[in-house]
Amino acid sequence: MAANKKKELIIGAVMLAVGVVYLVLTARLPSHDGIDATFVPYLLATTLCVLGLLHLVTVFKAPQAVEGTSEEGEGAPETISVKTVIVTLALIAGYVALLQHVGFLIMTVVYLYLQFLVLTPVTQKANHIAYAAIAVATSVVIYFLFREAFDLLLPSGLLNF
Amino acid sequence: MLDLLAAGFGAVFSAQILILMAIGVAVGIVFGAVPGLSATMAVALCLPLTFTMGPQAGLSLLVALFIGATSGGLISAILLKIPGTPSSIATVFDGGPLMEQGHGVKALGIGIVFSFLGTIFSIAALMFLAPQLAKVALRFGPHEYFAIAVFSLTLIATLSTGSMVKGLFAGALGFAVSTVGIAPVDAIRRFTFDFAELNGGFAMLTVMIGMFAVAEIIKVAETGRTASQGKARSVSMKNIKGFGFSMKEFREQIPNATRSGFIGLGIGILPGIGAGTSNIVSYIISKKRAKNPETYGKGNIGGVVASETANNAGIGGAMLPLMTLGIPGDTVTAIMLGGFLIHGIQPGPLLFISQGPLVYTIFAALIVATFMMLFMEFYGLRIFIKLLDVPKHILLPIILVLCVVGAFGLSSRIFDVWSILLFGLLGYGFVKAGIPPAPFIIGFILGPMAETNLRRGLMLSNGNFFAFLQNPIAAVFLGLAVAFILWHVYSAMRVKKSSVDQILRT
Repeated sequence: MAANKKKELIIGAVMLAVGVVYLVLTARLPSHDGIDATFVPYLLATTLCVLGLLHLVTVFKAPQAVEGTSEEGEGAPETISVKTVIVTLALIAGYVALLQHVGFLIMTVVYLYLQFLVLTPVTQKANHIAYAAIAVATSVVIYFLFREAFDLLLPSGLLNF
Repeated sequence: MLDLLAAGFGAVFSAQILILMAIGVAVGIVFGAVPGLSATMAVALCLPLTFTMGPQAGLSLLVALFIGATSGGLISAILLKIPGTPSSIATVFDGGPLMEQGHGVKALGIGIVFSFLGTIFSIAALMFLAPQLAKVALRFGPHEYFAIAVFSLTLIATLSTGSMVKGLFAGALGFAVSTVGIAPVDAIRRFTFDFAELNGGFAMLTVMIGMFAVAEIIKVAETGRTASQGKARSVSMKNIKGFGFSMKEFREQIPNATRSGFIGLGIGILPGIGAGTSNIVSYIISKKRAKNPETYGKGNIGGVVASETANNAGIGGAMLPLMTLGIPGDTVTAIMLGGFLIHGIQPGPLLFISQGPLVYTIFAALIVATFMMLFMEFYGLRIFIKLLDVPKHILLPIILVLCVVGAFGLSSRIFDVWSILLFGLLGYGFVKAGIPPAPFIIGFILGPMAETNLRRGLMLSNGNFFAFLQNPIAAVFLGLAVAFILWHVYSAMRVKKSSVDQILRT
């Protein structure tokens, strides 16, 4: 369970780091005497740091990490695909970045089609025609449904209607 | 009260609201039934749809979604042996075996009918208790509110799954994120990094959609390509009378259901814990008190009754602190709070005075939605079963597009869409690190309430913190919060597996 302990130590370090960053940001806020707008942030920053330290110490002292041994399922049969996660994140980021200029209709079709492909299970074959049809239908239905029924104008972008 | 309720029914019985609620219940059941989608997601994604509706229509829709999604979890719990939502975990224990023995329809019928009874019971309790509690809460000042917010936050942080340190960390981090924007009382801009968009802080809805929906999609991307999706078996509805079980079976379950209803209601009222806990607790107690405990886990209908009555009884329970104090009991009611605020309604004791008719419209909507759930879920089963087979790699990208639309719809700016991606990453990080997301959400929502009331209370007492301890109600809640942490530390010292843990592991 050494891997588990290492993982928990990293988590503790990140928790502590978050607390420290928040503390530094708080210290840069304008303040005056007595109770001011920095009072609660200081309290929170201290709490975050203390909890991070506490976690580090507990894990460090434990002979083997108790945390998460049962629920995290080390060596579970499900393989984790880092590549799929990164590609998915890149797709979402690209979708959001281009949404305003290219427009909702086009970007949604492109995003959905690519995301369907990326997430298609390895045991199945990608059905390009069905994917494209679903992508177009979803995009059009959502765009006009929100425009007509819910008065929400999604970015029209290049297609101007 | 009765004439107000009659007026409430009058408002709900308009064609527009009834249709909206029917759609809401159906969509809710689907979100509850499909593993990976949750009640929180259903309410968060549909909230933007209500922006242009009146408060009555909008809140009725949200209520319908809440009820549908809470009971929908039982469908996949029984048919797939996978709980659709955490609130149906204990339904799997006996619902799964019943299905395997060919009593699938009976299990579903019992689950649905007792979900219905649990919900109705809790709504009745809500209608009876809420006005009383509101009267008491009217006298609360900043000291009391600060103490209640701190108490709620401690409760959720210590009771959520995983280690207490991580739970408290999540709560404090949520509070910290809520301090972004213009500070209460002296209006200093904090942590905005000169983004004008951050002056108002992060919108509650973007945090929710990010943490619960976007994070879920990233999580599926991790394993989705190799994980196999369970296939729902169909059940035959031929020759089924009523709801598929006999009056005798029904009568035998009344004591069990009553007990489970009270457990569900009580746990639902407590801030921070809800149906996800109460279904397991009432299952354990039901098993202990049963005449034949050895048949539990092998297909005893009592197990389904206990779990489903309790989780649905949490609905009225969770609505109680929301409507009377403005404190959400769990993540779903946290979004409901957002829904109230968007329609310009501040939940709290004053709601019962200033918006009396609306309060009773909500009560009426709760009751109508419960009846809709009873009939739609049972007689529409085949359709819901079909939807369980929609592949995840098609469903989740579409949900993501809806997330984007929802975030954009808040105030028509791409900034909010980036926010959901940011919180999606954070939520994914939480999952990886084993940190529970619920305390983060509650911290984010109760944070401003705690801070504002702390500052106000300190101003009232000239910066003297002891005023909080001299106030009896505030002192009790703060004392309870401290006691809770100490008790938790104490029980963590003596590492002993609780019976809940054992049940969860089997």
